Amino acid sequence: MPTDAAPRPDKPTDSGADRLRNFAKYSGLGFQMLATIGLCAWGGLKLDAHFQNKNPWYTIGLMVLGLVAATYQVIRTLTRNE
Amino acid sequence: MKRLLIALFCILSLPVFANEPASTQAEATDKEAFSPGEMILHHISDSHEWHFATLGDEEHGTHLTLPLPVIAYQPTKGLSVFSSSRLAHGQSYNGLKLEHEHLVAEDGGHVYDFSITKNVASLLLSALLLLLVFTAVARGYGKNRNGAPRGIQSFFEPIIVFVRDEVAKKSIGPKYERYMPYLLTIFFFIWFNNLLGLMPGGANLTGNIAVTLTLAVLTLIITLASSNKYYWSHIFATPGVPKALLPIMIPVELIGVVVKPFSLMVRLFANITAGHIVILSFISLIFIFRSAAVSPVSIAFGLFINVLELLVAILQAYIFTLLTAMYIGGAVEEHHDADHQIGGDNAAAPAHGHAH
Repeated sequence: MPTDAAPRPDKPTDSGADRLRNFAKYSGLGFQMLATIGLCAWGGLKLDAHFQNKNPWYTIGLMVLGLVAATYQVIRTLTRNE
Repeated sequence: MKRLLIALFCILSLPVFANEPASTQAEATDKEAFSPGEMILHHISDSHEWHFATLGDEEHGTHLTLPLPVIAYQPTKGLSVFSSSRLAHGQSYNGLKLEHEHLVAEDGGHVYDFSITKNVASLLLSALLLLLVFTAVARGYGKNRNGAPRGIQSFFEPIIVFVRDEVAKKSIGPKYERYMPYLLTIFFFIWFNNLLGLMPGGANLTGNIAVTLTLAVLTLIITLASSNKYYWSHIFATPGVPKALLPIMIPVELIGVVVKPFSLMVRLFANITAGHIVILSFISLIFIFRSAAVSPVSIAFGLFINVLELLVAILQAYIFTLLTAMYIGGAVEEHHDADHQIGGDNAAAPAHGHAH
């Protein structure tokens, strides 16, 4: 679309589109935490089943790593650019 | 707007909880009469034929079904192509039969199933629809270059401009133009297929994890292919992090690379599937209680969720596109231009320079 630009008046930064954007962004962040921890737990369970461990060290270790990773991602997304 | 969003957020988290009662109810009700769990799973899963409705009862009624081509490859027998109606009612054909909608060989050999299933047929249909709609839109721009948009073009122009201005420019920055085709394609693909899935007799395409997996993998590939050295230096030598911590930070960052598309895949899949399950659960209530007196409540709730799903259809398309754009934006970001994500207008300015 070459015919663009022109009449875009300076909008206030907190327009409806921005709110929708923030809603999508931050609700997506929660889902990302869930996915991180879930993926790590799943991987840990698979590894423990594969090596037939008595104690689920892989599950525990990977879940802790997942928690660290999820928290780190949230902090990094929240502190960046704003 | 804020209240609406809060209400929406509360309702969107509902389906996750509504998931479970549906399956436990399925076990509680007697099997021979009506099993909601089975009915719901049948509705949301893929199949080798396109079943629209059954008039009359299961045994003697008329099934309104569209048979679809089965394309199977067996290493021993080679390729076989036939109509899925030959496999109906548990029949076998050419040594192949359907077991819980999985094509298996009667002799236990391996079968590669390339069939045009319900989801594939729906995918092709939606591709055709998208082509028709957007060639019409593109033709509109070819015909009247500087005039006001007309017809179907005037409906889609604001949406396309929204994706460009609010999604691509703000998330990616000055290099947004090369990613516009992909962003627009996934936006309209997901939106159209969400809506097609809501139609009576429609296939649950975006609620199929294989489809969302493909979309997520495409996003991952595009993100990695367009990444610059700053992206990788952030992963392998995160600035401001002591060297001793790097063994922990590198796996954490690498998990992040994989998890971002993974969460895209699960989010779309879960939202669409949950929506379908909730609607079907409400409708099932009538048959579980075996009373028409339940129907006003169950249809009212079903209709409410259905209308809500119309909103979820575009919202999920938007979220998928926005997050894809943000991941790409993170990969192409130059070292010092952290401002690009704040001011959309600032980011737009240099882009016009080399656009014309």
